[in-house]
Amino acid sequence: MSDKDDFFIGWSAETPKADRRFFMLAGLGLLAGTGGAAALIGGAQDGGGPGTWDQGDIQEWRGIASALPYPTLRTRDTDGKIKTAFLSCLNKCTPELRINQYRDGEVVIRGSAIRRGEHLMIATEDSGAWISQASGSLPDQLALPEEEALGSAELRGEILDTKCWFGAMRPSSGKVHKACASLCIRSGLPPAFYVKPLREQERLLIITDRRGAPVSQDVLPYVADRMRLSGDVVRKGDVLYLRTDVSTFERV
Amino acid sequence: MAHDYKAIQWTPFKKRYDLFLLLGVATYLVLFFVFTAGGQPDGESLHPVQIAIAATGSLSFLMLTFILSIGPLARFTDRMKPFLYNRRHVGVATFIIALLHAALVVIWYHGFSETNVFVSLLASNPRYSSLQGFPFESLGVAAFFILFLMAATSHDFWNAHLGPGLWKALHMLVYVAFALLVGHVMFGFVQDQTSIVYPVLVGSSALWVSGLHIAAGFKSATPSDVHLGRFIEVAEVSAFEEGRARIVTPSKGERIAVFLHKGKLSAISNVCRHQGGPLGEGRVIDDCVTCPWHGFQYRLEDGRSPEPFSEKVATYSVKVEDGMVFVDSEPKEPGTRTEPVSLHGEDAL
Repeated sequence: MSDKDDFFIGWSAETPKADRRFFMLAGLGLLAGTGGAAALIGGAQDGGGPGTWDQGDIQEWRGIASALPYPTLRTRDTDGKIKTAFLSCLNKCTPELRINQYRDGEVVIRGSAIRRGEHLMIATEDSGAWISQASGSLPDQLALPEEEALGSAELRGEILDTKCWFGAMRPSSGKVHKACASLCIRSGLPPAFYVKPLREQERLLIITDRRGAPVSQDVLPYVADRMRLSGDVVRKGDVLYLRTDVSTFERV
Repeated sequence: MAHDYKAIQWTPFKKRYDLFLLLGVATYLVLFFVFTAGGQPDGESLHPVQIAIAATGSLSFLMLTFILSIGPLARFTDRMKPFLYNRRHVGVATFIIALLHAALVVIWYHGFSETNVFVSLLASNPRYSSLQGFPFESLGVAAFFILFLMAATSHDFWNAHLGPGLWKALHMLVYVAFALLVGHVMFGFVQDQTSIVYPVLVGSSALWVSGLHIAAGFKSATPSDVHLGRFIEVAEVSAFEEGRARIVTPSKGERIAVFLHKGKLSAISNVCRHQGGPLGEGRVIDDCVTCPWHGFQYRLEDGRSPEPFSEKVATYSVKVEDGMVFVDSEPKEPGTRTEPVSLHGEDAL
């Protein structure tokens, strides 16, 4: 037996038998451990939420567009229900300016649906022809709903962006998603306050200022943090709004 | 082995090593997707891009944990030396996985917007004074640049041109990268998850790496405190094995490796001139001390690499008294001839 037989040298073409045996056993053990780690780490993740977005499923949506407080289309959903659909671009941006051109009549908007439960957002098609004036009379059912005051409230939850939470991303909340939510809100997409005391009782309230006007930059420092917000809750059709003042925001 | 850069060729062992490495990476990524999909409630699946972000992030963290475990484990068993020698393969693979993670994060979370992605990455969260809100992204960015620096300079070309000291110092930054990544994961992903699995795993990894290094440090760095003038005690003659060394740590300077070979004792610096490998953990092959890390060789009598190579390490005088071996704590100039001490002849006092 030579003195090289049991001593590993990296550049040598000959690997000692003991090293080969150990390496094979250790390698197989590491492979098994790798599989176990993948199962443990992958399988223990929290759910991504029930949102969906099929970007390829472009549809035409007829209804009444409104630019304030955030771009919306009052429209009839594919199941026949009348809903307030928020509007976004394909990316992290908002189509607000073009909607102002069509605020006095019915429009047709081409885009894909982003859905979470009863919540609906339309991601407008990425071309110049995504909105057009509709011909014909305005259906009464699509008239913009009156607002209904539900009283004041103090709520705990998280500020997030509607587009991701509706289904553009899964998961769509929390610290890891903070920068993305900030970009969405900075671009004019509606910020929302997600209140979830119990799994079955989650509520999403769209945040505006005290006068019902949109907010954007002011809420950015608080996005994705655990917050206590107080304000007046207002219902407009199928959407809840929280009219609040950023100066009263409190981290918890 | 050479003073100048010379490429080390592929061997059958290296090919098997890299095959296992690729298999491990593929196994992890595939199973991560499978078990993530299987672990979610019906209708609440994670987005594939976000699964890929979690998969690549967690894999690069686990690989770095493994890389940092190899060195100290090799202090406890020679069988880890094959892993140690090829550690840089895992290191470069780790950087590639981390690069994929970073690219996906930048595009997915910080892209698709008019805001510059790097402004979003570094300035969207300024809450450095808060533990709950701490911007974990900046820790990941810092760790990523360290991994990049290490991967870019991992080749022997850079070792030869930067010099072993600077190269080694540069690559010690891996510990900074690991600490940054522990923070990155703890302040980011772990804060968002409800499962206890994640803080336990990350905390265990940090404890494992720290504990292993402390244990290895105790094993190999206990300074000798028995002196005979300038000479320090090494061990009894009977404790020496043929072709192997006992390592001793003087109060200052490099550790010293005292070898027994063909009935004679010789001492050289424990630090290989190639990458600082522990010569005392190597053994004598063809009458030369052979470094366990990359096979660099030095003659026992003068600390010089055999011709045509030009590396040289310091040598030390050895003496034996009453069956106890002592070594001079003062090194001689690298490459100085120092006659080995025979255990059977007139040299033994």
